[in-house]
Amino acid sequence: MTTSTVGPAAASAPAARQASGPAQAWRRLRHQPVTLAAVITIAIIIVIAAAAPLIAPYDAGETDFTSVLAGPSADHLLGTDDFGHDILSQLIYAARTALIVGVGSVLVAMLIGVPMGLILGYKGGWYDRLGSRVMDIADAMPGIMIGFVVIAILGRGTLILIFAIGLIFSMNFARMVRAITLTERKKLYVESAHVTGLRNRQIVFGQVLPNLVGPLAVQGAVFLGNAIKVEAALSFLGLGLPDDQPSWGGMLRTAAEHQVDHPWMALPPGIAIVITVLALNLLGDGINDALSGARTSRKQRKRALHQAPTLAEVEEAKRAVSSVVTTPVAVAPALAQALVTTDKHPDTVLAVRDIHIVADRPDGEVVPLVSSLDLTVGRGEVMGLLGESGSGKSMLAKSILGLLPAGVRVESGSVELAGEELVGRTERQWREIRGKKLGVVFQNPQANLSPVHTVGRQLIDPLRIHHGMSKAVARDQAADLLDMVGVKDAAKRLDDYPHQFSGGMAQRVAIAIALAGDPDVLILDEATSALDVTTQSQVLDLVLDLREKLGMAVINITHDLGVAAEACDRVAIMYHGQLLEVNDVFSLFDEPHHPYTKALLASHPTADHKVDRLPTIADFVTADGEWIAR
Amino acid sequence: MDREVIIPMTAHRPLLDVRDLEVAYETKGGLFRKSMTTVVKGVSFHIAPGETYGLVGESGSGKSTTGRAILRLADIAGGSIDFDGTDIAGMGSRTPLSYRRDVQAVYQDPGASLNPRHHVGRAVTDALKRHGIGDRASRRKKALESFEQVGLTAAHLDRFPSEMSGGQLQRVAIARALVLEPRLVICDEAVSALDLSTQSQIINLLMDLQKDSGVSYLFITHDLGVVRHISQRVGVLKLGELVEEGVTEELFDNPQHEYTQALLTASPSSTPEGRDERRELRQKRRVSVPSLRQAS
Repeated sequence: MTTSTVGPAAASAPAARQASGPAQAWRRLRHQPVTLAAVITIAIIIVIAAAAPLIAPYDAGETDFTSVLAGPSADHLLGTDDFGHDILSQLIYAARTALIVGVGSVLVAMLIGVPMGLILGYKGGWYDRLGSRVMDIADAMPGIMIGFVVIAILGRGTLILIFAIGLIFSMNFARMVRAITLTERKKLYVESAHVTGLRNRQIVFGQVLPNLVGPLAVQGAVFLGNAIKVEAALSFLGLGLPDDQPSWGGMLRTAAEHQVDHPWMALPPGIAIVITVLALNLLGDGINDALSGARTSRKQRKRALHQAPTLAEVEEAKRAVSSVVTTPVAVAPALAQALVTTDKHPDTVLAVRDIHIVADRPDGEVVPLVSSLDLTVGRGEVMGLLGESGSGKSMLAKSILGLLPAGVRVESGSVELAGEELVGRTERQWREIRGKKLGVVFQNPQANLSPVHTVGRQLIDPLRIHHGMSKAVARDQAADLLDMVGVKDAAKRLDDYPHQFSGGMAQRVAIAIALAGDPDVLILDEATSALDVTTQSQVLDLVLDLREKLGMAVINITHDLGVAAEACDRVAIMYHGQLLEVNDVFSLFDEPHHPYTKALLASHPTADHKVDRLPTIADFVTADGEWIAR
Repeated sequence: MDREVIIPMTAHRPLLDVRDLEVAYETKGGLFRKSMTTVVKGVSFHIAPGETYGLVGESGSGKSTTGRAILRLADIAGGSIDFDGTDIAGMGSRTPLSYRRDVQAVYQDPGASLNPRHHVGRAVTDALKRHGIGDRASRRKKALESFEQVGLTAAHLDRFPSEMSGGQLQRVAIARALVLEPRLVICDEAVSALDLSTQSQIINLLMDLQKDSGVSYLFITHDLGVVRHISQRVGVLKLGELVEEGVTEELFDNPQHEYTQALLTASPSSTPEGRDERRELRQKRRVSVPSLRQAS
């Protein structure tokens, strides 16, 4: 009876996508054919219920004793029951009952459950401990028993039935609302509301409650279906509504009495219940998907496989692009082109040639993310890829790794790694490259590692796969690798899990794993950005040591000028999907060519010296939106 | 008001005077057992009217917790916090509305500090409403003025947080904090999540607003460069203790405590010049100060 499956998904998913707002949820909803069908079905049922006196061929209580328990006929399309009631008319009037009881009991359940959940989740402490136990006890009792008790005490009647069913479901609402409130109350907007001085009441109902609307809508739709089922069950048992009030459950009861001689009687109410409940459940799922943006239609999924974007991804890409577009300046292409110095390294290991990376939008528009970019990286060289968010630096790295998100593709150009072309590889072909010839470390140290495996396992597996080592040899090698990245007691720590390592140490482990395949190029994607400065300097120093020892090339993607200055040999400046300037790190910082580079350097507050006022990008742009060349 | 005027005059009574502050968190023990972890240990500093005080430290140093204690969001276990002569540690469970008006906060993640379901303009009007300022129309007008003050327009009032960039959201957060004309704003990593070009704009904005209004800032950050630029005095926190404090220029030019020195050598420079020497120095220091190794 309790559909708890929807709860957690509904609770967690909208939190992640809430930002997309109701308008986008509605747009997604419209693209779900199943949900649309469910909405239409529910709408028809509502219309039938509302217009019952107009549609139904007979009145609700009208009896025709001349035809009792008759089969379908012209007078009675679905036949009659034992009192001579027209079954079709009964069915239509019963839809009314079902909806009134269903909606009413969901409202009652919300009125009890939502404030309870909000208060328990927000207040916490003893309120919560006590309230949660009450919820546990209520959940331990079969819901239908609660219904029996309420009806036994208060008697039969529509309002009592609504209250009884509402009571059954109220704990589910309370539980869900409490769970979401617990996470919401820790969010910064709640803390900000406190700092502003808002009262608890205003915070709970004005700030937290609006963030519950999505999950409540999902839960409401699903429980509406459940409430209708419970109403049918109670009426079937003769405990629900008074006998003279038509209901699907009551009709089933009559049918059950005559199931031997008149088996068709069970069909109309049975089908009505199934269709209504199914439509409501599908609507609930649909709302959930629309809010979370999770499920795409089969067609959309197929398109995604062919590198077409899901809506969410296009929106993300669009945001990334628009954030660039809204900055005051566009790149003057001529100026940009002139300044690129693609001085070739004598011993090139990675060469990106004229690469174009684009995002496909569902409406057919192709949004460029990286345009005609050339870059070479030499063996043993640390290349810094420096840019702000939306500059395309991460997309470039992902294209080198073959990890572009769905909907983003390399339109043209080539990436050559030690003589091998990387563009256009299949997933199977990529496996020979990633982890073996290319190692990568991402920003979040813990996200780089699998939480459920020991770090030893995560080191040993690639060693065995890429070098065909035996388990014992791989284990020794793994310990050596950990030792090399500066993890003390390496052999012992192989059996530790990632959460047992601090952020800096976890990042060292991630580097060790990236180096396990003995890669030609190690890609660091903001790998030190989340670390404290002292830890960051240690990890950067480690990378430089390893480079000297192993001779691999490093691509260090960063937004931090200091990281580029301290730990890169050459630096490439990216802006708006274009490469503006590549130069030796000393020359680049001493004599930046492009106005954007100058602006970036000037606007960087540093610990070495102090200026009175920080220059901004705007200081390097004319009133017409052109770069000031100086 | 010139910058020179702002530089602390010790003769003035400080706006905020934190003395021997201790903050402890309850960590999970048994049902009736409570075990406490002290995260701020005997921290003392003061902030003069119109001054910016920088509080630097790495994660776990207790810098944000200090800010939360001043905002009365973390329980004060010991010591005192005097704001304008009143000890806020002794205020009891209810925070006077006037204190909520006088002390505001700007956080690191502007997206998270605004309600995703409300138009951003409402963050400002809600604050005004709570403090009984103006009627509906005049609050909207005041919200618009505050938006314009931080470089936003009327068009931004009715947007959802998801429809704005990080820099714009931080401007909204600043508008919300300053519309109540506070005397102290706690800036907790307020510019750390922003891109460099946005960061410099927001820093300039904060400094301009300070010049106009004479507000004080407690600037909490891990970024030494930002602190050097924005604050007149700096305190360095390590594992809950204030290890060094001083006038910004002096502290940066001549750090006394070895932790401050380590922080400064670890902090990436704005120029590659001399980086090999810095690397060597770091290597040496790591060997000579084992505690720094463990800190990672």
